[in-house]
Amino acid sequence: MLNRNARLTAAAVVATGLALTGCSSTTGASTGGPVTITFWGWASGYDKSVALWNESHPGIQVKYEAIANGGAGGYDKMFTAAKAGTAPCLAQIGYETFASFLAAGLLQDVSEHTKARRAEFPDWVWGNVGIDGKIFGVPVDTAPMGLFYRSDLFKNAKIEVPKTWEEFGKAAAAVKAADPKSRIMNLPTDPYLYAGFAWQGDAPWFGVNGDAWTVSVNSAANGKVAGYWQGLFDQDLVTSYPAFDAALYTAWNSGKVWAEVGPVWSASLIRDNAASSAGKWAVAPMPRWDGADTVGNSGGSATAVMKGCAHPKEAAEFALWMSTDDKSVSNLIESAAILPASKSGLASKALDAPESYYGGQAIYQLFRAESAKVNPNWRWGPVMSTTASALGDGLGKVAAKSATFQEALNAAQTGTVSALQAQGFSVSK
Amino acid sequence: MTRQRPSRLRELRRAAPFVLPFLLLFVVVYLVPTGYSVVQSFFAVKRSGLGLGGAETVFAGLGNYLRVFQDGDFIASLGRVGFIGVIQVPVMLGIALFLALLLDSSVPKGRKFFRIAYFVPYGLPGVIAALVWSFLYAPTLSPIAGFFASIGVDASFVTDGALPFSIANILTWAWTGYNTILIFAALQAIPEETMEAAALDGCSGWKAALLIKVPLVRPALLLTLVFSIIGTSQLYNEPVTMKSVAPNLPSTYTPIMAAVRSLSANDFNYAAAQSVVLGALICVLSVLVFRASARSVTR
Repeated sequence: MLNRNARLTAAAVVATGLALTGCSSTTGASTGGPVTITFWGWASGYDKSVALWNESHPGIQVKYEAIANGGAGGYDKMFTAAKAGTAPCLAQIGYETFASFLAAGLLQDVSEHTKARRAEFPDWVWGNVGIDGKIFGVPVDTAPMGLFYRSDLFKNAKIEVPKTWEEFGKAAAAVKAADPKSRIMNLPTDPYLYAGFAWQGDAPWFGVNGDAWTVSVNSAANGKVAGYWQGLFDQDLVTSYPAFDAALYTAWNSGKVWAEVGPVWSASLIRDNAASSAGKWAVAPMPRWDGADTVGNSGGSATAVMKGCAHPKEAAEFALWMSTDDKSVSNLIESAAILPASKSGLASKALDAPESYYGGQAIYQLFRAESAKVNPNWRWGPVMSTTASALGDGLGKVAAKSATFQEALNAAQTGTVSALQAQGFSVSK
Repeated sequence: MTRQRPSRLRELRRAAPFVLPFLLLFVVVYLVPTGYSVVQSFFAVKRSGLGLGGAETVFAGLGNYLRVFQDGDFIASLGRVGFIGVIQVPVMLGIALFLALLLDSSVPKGRKFFRIAYFVPYGLPGVIAALVWSFLYAPTLSPIAGFFASIGVDASFVTDGALPFSIANILTWAWTGYNTILIFAALQAIPEETMEAAALDGCSGWKAALLIKVPLVRPALLLTLVFSIIGTSQLYNEPVTMKSVAPNLPSTYTPIMAAVRSLSANDFNYAAAQSVVLGALICVLSVLVFRASARSVTR
């Protein structure tokens, strides 16, 4: 008897285990019960938006699982899970990596389920989550760039806030003249941050020519943007701290570095890492090139629908809701300091709040206006992790003075083209 | 031979409960993944055009291996760990042997303390050690570089030329104690009579240590040597951690970093080929070391 009971218990345990492990995106196909959708992401606030949805949508339950930041292993996990057949239904994917997932054949075409709501997002944003007019996910946020600067130091030294890159160069010299130990900015050596400058400078890295990719990382237009930074570096007008390094944060705090041209999320980066200079920072529009009223973008991500998802329609519905619903968007702005991609999200009142760190300036109003001026001619390539690491390696050498920007671009060009060819993509010259 | 030898089958049956758990784990976590990597390395993904139609996996023969041997970054990474190994391993084992001999010497004062003190760095997780050393190396934060700057010397630990030595220094710091303990254990196993006999023959002190103790602990030295070669060729934590203070450190600095980069690029098959090549090289190197030492013992 006892033996039999023990066996039953064991069987029950095994069954529970199976039920738990079987809780993947493929279950609940037509059982009539609530549909369950798994969602992998890492941005703060996503869990709360999911909870809001689950409360109000009993028929479609989203199971959120926080994973490591994409660049810090999250994407590797998704690639591996997809290979093993255990990928989630929805995944947070940055625009820069979106094409890599597309090329790996891991995303599902949800054009049909998003078509009706295309007008709710700006066109250039849709370009980041699809190709050939097909849509594979829903944009969540964008990251237009702006000029963060120490208003106290600029004012004291009587230096005008630069509006163009030409003025920026003059201001850089003026900063050094005002205080020989200070510089205007740190050299942008992080490949994705640098991409924002190329993006603004109408210097695309990738394009599509019929059925082949074009790679133009070292094009003449890119040479112009790179040459500008090389010039500032050669004249010793910028610092060369490693990107995201504590030394740079110290320099922001102590006034050794006066400004940072960076994406909207630099707002929290500066606020959290240069706390003692609170109230002294302000934000102005990104300096422009030769009268072209365009800005760059560096970051932003989407909720992608992965292949194998049994409920693409419901998944797309949730993703659209997360990016457009007022409660969800307000929550994301509050917890992750994102700039929403959707038009309704951009209208959110949460963006009008004054920021005390920035001297009470309502900085997100500025980014809201700038997001309409993002250069639309940018496309990410399908092997961005290779492109970015090749470029990052090269830019790291620039800071150490053992290479130039142009050499870094050349290395990224060669590395990208050979990676594309090795993986079977067509590359047109 | 009065007792009948148990049949082979019965012997196996008796041994099974003791061997099977190990064998099972060995197969599942070692042989299967290795075999899987080898199989993967002979395939490649095929795409067409923009690659948006998804990828198809096809047999590629030795294609990935040809790519490995034409991959300048990967070859350079092998050269780098080779260079670091050739310098660091002898230095570390030399220090370890010296410390072990000191511990084993007849002056037992503070032996317990030093034994633990040497071992402490090994107890620290590799990443933490690398992180702490990164701060000591970081040009703008380093107190050491700061000291040199204050006396007018421009010292940097993260230039292209200095990097191998900076990394070798972390490795030496972290692993010398571990190797010391291994060698020390072997020294402790030397019978006292042997040393007494040597002393009677007039051989004592450093002479006895070099002429008698060192040859007797040769198997332990060999073991630490092979462990160190394997460890160095699998270098990963230290350079990856240091990258944040040394952006000039390329993302393919070591063979494993190169393989991880291929993995991140969703190029699984090529990463498998890189790993297999690295594994095979380590294997060959270890066998060569064992062979060479066996020969010198028998001679």
